[in-house]
Parts: sequence; structure tokens; C-alpha cells
Amino acid sequence: MKKRGRGIATIMFGFGYGEGFPDHSIAAIEIKEQGPILVKTAAADVGQGVLTVLTQIAAEVLRVAPDRIVLSAGDTALTKNAGSTSATRQTYFTGSAVQKAAEGVLALLYHYGSLALHCNHPELVVKDGRVYRYDRPDHFMSYQELARLAHEKGELLQAEASFFPRTDAPDPETGQGERVYVAYTFMTQIAEVEVDTATGLVEVLRFDTALDLGKALNPQAVEGQIEGGTVMGMGMALMEEQVIKAGITLNPDLTGYLIPTALDCPPFYSRLVENKDAAGPFGAKGIGEPVTIGATPALANAIYAAIGIRFFELPITPDKIIKALRQEQGTNG
Amino acid sequence: MKRKLAGKQGNRPLISGRDSNGYFLPESLAEAVNLLGQAGEGLKVLAGGTDLLVDLYERLIEVEGWLDLGLIPELREIKVRAEQIEIGAMVTHAQLEKSENIKKTLPVLAAAAAEIGSPQIRNRGTIGGNVVTASPAGDLLAPLIAYNAVLELVGKDGVSRVPAGDFFCGPKQTIMKRGQLLSRVLIPRPSSGTIGCWIKIGKRKALVIASISLALVVRLAKGGVIADIRACFGAVAPTPLEIKAVRRLAGGKRLEQLDFSQVGELAAAGIAPIDDLRGTAAYRRNVARELLIQALEKVQSTGGEIIADQADC
Repeated sequence: MKKRGRGIATIMFGFGYGEGFPDHSIAAIEIKEQGPILVKTAAADVGQGVLTVLTQIAAEVLRVAPDRIVLSAGDTALTKNAGSTSATRQTYFTGSAVQKAAEGVLALLYHYGSLALHCNHPELVVKDGRVYRYDRPDHFMSYQELARLAHEKGELLQAEASFFPRTDAPDPETGQGERVYVAYTFMTQIAEVEVDTATGLVEVLRFDTALDLGKALNPQAVEGQIEGGTVMGMGMALMEEQVIKAGITLNPDLTGYLIPTALDCPPFYSRLVENKDAAGPFGAKGIGEPVTIGATPALANAIYAAIGIRFFELPITPDKIIKALRQEQGTNG
Repeated sequence: MKRKLAGKQGNRPLISGRDSNGYFLPESLAEAVNLLGQAGEGLKVLAGGTDLLVDLYERLIEVEGWLDLGLIPELREIKVRAEQIEIGAMVTHAQLEKSENIKKTLPVLAAAAAEIGSPQIRNRGTIGGNVVTASPAGDLLAPLIAYNAVLELVGKDGVSRVPAGDFFCGPKQTIMKRGQLLSRVLIPRPSSGTIGCWIKIGKRKALVIASISLALVVRLAKGGVIADIRACFGAVAPTPLEIKAVRRLAGGKRLEQLDFSQVGELAAAGIAPIDDLRGTAAYRRNVARELLIQALEKVQSTGGEIIADQADC
């Protein structure tokens, strides 16, 4: 018999290293006499899309199309510390550093623009790679021309910025602190499953997610991370298991250590809650790890709703489900 | 005997029957048998390579040479004759899955082929490799036994034919002798009134080794009497296994006269499972019973009118 159930889980996640660790990120942006705008960052993109988001942030602040931006990612000769790609921190930390560096360059554009065009900065328009006076839009200078002007003065059209927020170590007695993490991400997920009581197989029918992420800088990338993270949580709930016997791992390969395939994935319905409560770039918060956490408890609750049995050990495999169902019926499986 | 391969492969020289660093690529079955007869234990017969190369990379086998069957045209053919269906040993799972003839005449085999591994594995892996590897969980093996398949073995002493049910003697062990090749799988053409069902249970929906699988083939005579019934399981014993007690109990009766729970118990009692990564023995006994009940219900619901039902339980 196939039994359906729904389960819900809500999580909160303090991201960044926090707890007083000197967590920070440094970024620089340079406009040269020729070529695109260069963002210098050591942030490592491991597929999550941080370089896309940093490009968007620089383009937004500098009022140019994203294709005018290039990144020198991971080049240690050009870049300074951006911290690790971990702790759900790159969008928030490096994103903030890039935003601040871009604001520094924007201010320099106003500075050199007002010198070149003989006006005060409120009279200037800085837009689409051009600087001009409101009343004379045809008489413009490009960002690159302003870079040449800076070079003639022996200066660079470049700004470097750091994002170095304070956090507090929690009180060792109480575990409490005023600002243990820079911000918190919140998420609620609902899983719907169908449990086959004959085989113990769990089919995940759908996942609904509401994610409070402050601001979605790239909604499609956010949905991608929600789906990928949820699938990781599904794996933890239903199949991922390192089997060790007498100190030997019996499944040291992906034939024996199973993760979900595309065919195991349900439809996802994600709602992005843009509740700008944090000081990240444009109000954004980190989502990388939070989106992996909710799926497992939601699925365990959904299985409970379907068959009335609580499991306290992961993964919840067909073996365990059949054994528990048989025990409940009072027969020996 | 060197010649050039046309098309995308460019001008790669072809080896045929000659040793090129221990790699042989014969173009006829006779040549292959001859080469195998001369060679020692270290010459490995290569079909799709989906099992063999895994063993090689994990250093589970020692290889002195390869006998690649990939260029023997007759081994790639599916022939549907009036009396039987003949499947060459090098026919891939993808061919079986997509062949309209196989889907029509042997739907349980087609359904099993469609669930093997991934598209890449189905494009490489072959029916012959699946049979000769003789994994207890080999997905095509239970369907072949259920369809009364006969395996044709060719060696230097000639051709012999063995029922699939007598071929397997243990995990990765068969009755094949050194020097023999599997050339074809011969399956009696199912008569009208034959219904089947394939169920594979794995821990995920693709790219998974079966925890347990069932191929059920039922032939109904006029009036709905069961003329033949074969319930064959995979991954429940050292070899793929037919529960012959089902045939004894159900033969000559009509489906609605059967107590499906009682038939299911025959499966639970008849298998010899172990505990492994894919399931415990207790799990397999429980699920074997339930799968057989499900399959019988499915077969009953389709009735006896159709030749063969592409049952995807």
C-alpha cells in the first residue's frame, strides 16, 4: 500500500565564521584606460555562482552592464584575502567588500569627472560608462578617459575595500553573546512523500520552500541552490551512508555510497522572502548551507505523517521502514 | 588483413585477428573462437566492458590481452523468427530497450533492459556480458529464465545449448568452460495469452544495483487456465532464481483461484538471500513476498487478452 504524508521543518542559520573569529574579505576594483572594469577578488567559485553575483554587484554600483566587468578570481598575484568559500559567507563578505570597493571607484568617477568637466559633483550624471553634466549629455567622458586623466596625475582609478564586521565570542557559561554571527538566514520547507509499505521505498513527491534570504541578488541562482541543497538533504535522509565494519569502509565508491539522481528529484516550489534585515550587499544574506539543512527533518516528519513511525537514525532506508512496519504489526520480519 | 575504418574514426588502423599489444579484434565468430582456444587464462573477452573495466581499474583481475567482440556483425543482431527470438550476445541494453520487436514480444526483457544503469551504461553494456558476468543482481537474468531462454555457447568443440535456468552456479560463476563464447540468446516466442511483469527495487531510481528484482511471466491458455508461470527473482540468492514451487502450485489453475498471499509465501520461503549494502536478508524475504503479490495483481488486472503487456509495476 502507498501512504502519503507531509512534513515541515524550519531552520535558522548564523553564517560567516562568527564568534569573534577575524573573518573578513578584501576586494579591489580598477578602471583602466582600455578594456573592461577589473574586479580583483580571491573568492573561489566552486559552482555556487559567487563570481556571477560579484559581477552583478560591481555592475550595479558602477552603473554599467555586467558584460563590462571581468574578474581576476583566484589570482594570488593580484588579489588579497577573501576568506574561504565556506560558512555560507562569500556573497555576504566578499559581496560587501566588492560593493564597498565599487562605491570607492564610483566616488573617484565623480571626483575626476567634476575636475574634467569643471562642475560640482551633484551636477554630474554617471551612467552606462559615461560621465557628463545634466545639461550637456552629448559632452561626455568615458570611464576609461577619466582613468587616463588619473594616470596623467600619477594616480589610479582604483579602490580597494575590506569588509570586517565585528562578532562576539559567546559567553562560555551561557553560550550567549550580543552579536555571535553577522546575521541569520531562516527557511521553512515542506516535503510531501509517498511510502510504499510493501517495499519500504520513499518517493519524494514535492518540496515547497520559503527562504528568508534578505534579498535575492540572482533569483535563478538562488532557486538552483535551494534545489541542489535540498537534494543533498534528501540524500542524507534517505540513502547516504558510510558503512564501516571493523574499521574498513565497505562502500568507498559511488556504486555503494548512493546519492540521489535527477530521476529521484521531485518538483520544487520555492518562494523567496526578501526581508532586508541584514547589512549584506543590497540586503542579501548567505544561503549555501541553510538550504541543505531543512530537507532531512522535513522528510523524517513526512514519513512519520505517512506511516506513523518515528525514525531516530539516518538514513531512513527501505530496510528500516519494512522492519519497523513489521515490528508494529507484531510480526518478526 | 589490415584495413581502414571509415567515418568518424578516421584512419585508425584496424587489428583483425592479429596481436597488437595483446589486443585482438576479430571479425568473425570462428576467428574469435580460434583465438580464444589458443590463448591462456589472461586473455579477457571484452563485450561492453561495463563490468570488466571496473574490475580492471580496481585491480581485481589480471589482464594479459583483450579479445574484443565488437566487430562481429552477427553478434549484434536481433532476429524475430516464427518460433523464437534470437538475440546476439553483443546486442546492447539500449538496443533491447528500444527495439519494437523486443518490446512487443518480450516486454519483461525490454523493461528490465530499460532500467539498467544509466544511458551510457545501456549504450555500452550487452546482453551477453550481463549473462556471462553472472552477477546475482544482473538485471536481464531473471527475465531470461522467466522466458525459458536458451544460451548458445560456441567453442572449438562445437556448439552447445543450455537453458538459462541451468547456466548459473554461483555469484559470477557459470557452467561455461574455458575456450567457450556465448554467441546468442534464443528465446521461444511467447504465445498469445502471455503476460508479464518486471519489478526492480533499488535504493534510488536510476544507476543502481537491484536490491531485489522480479520477472514474472504467465502464459494463460483458453479459459484463463495458467498453462505456465515463471516467477524469477534477482539479487535474492547466489544465482538468479526461479521459484519453481509457484509453477507447481499455480499451474492448471486460473488466476482468480489463487490465494496470492499463499503464492507470495512461496517466494519468501524459496529464496536464499544475504545481508549486504543493498538490503538485509529479512528485507528481501519480506519484499519478495510483496513483489510477487503485486505482480500477480498486475497480471490479473490486465487480463489474458493481450499477447504481452509492457507491465511497469
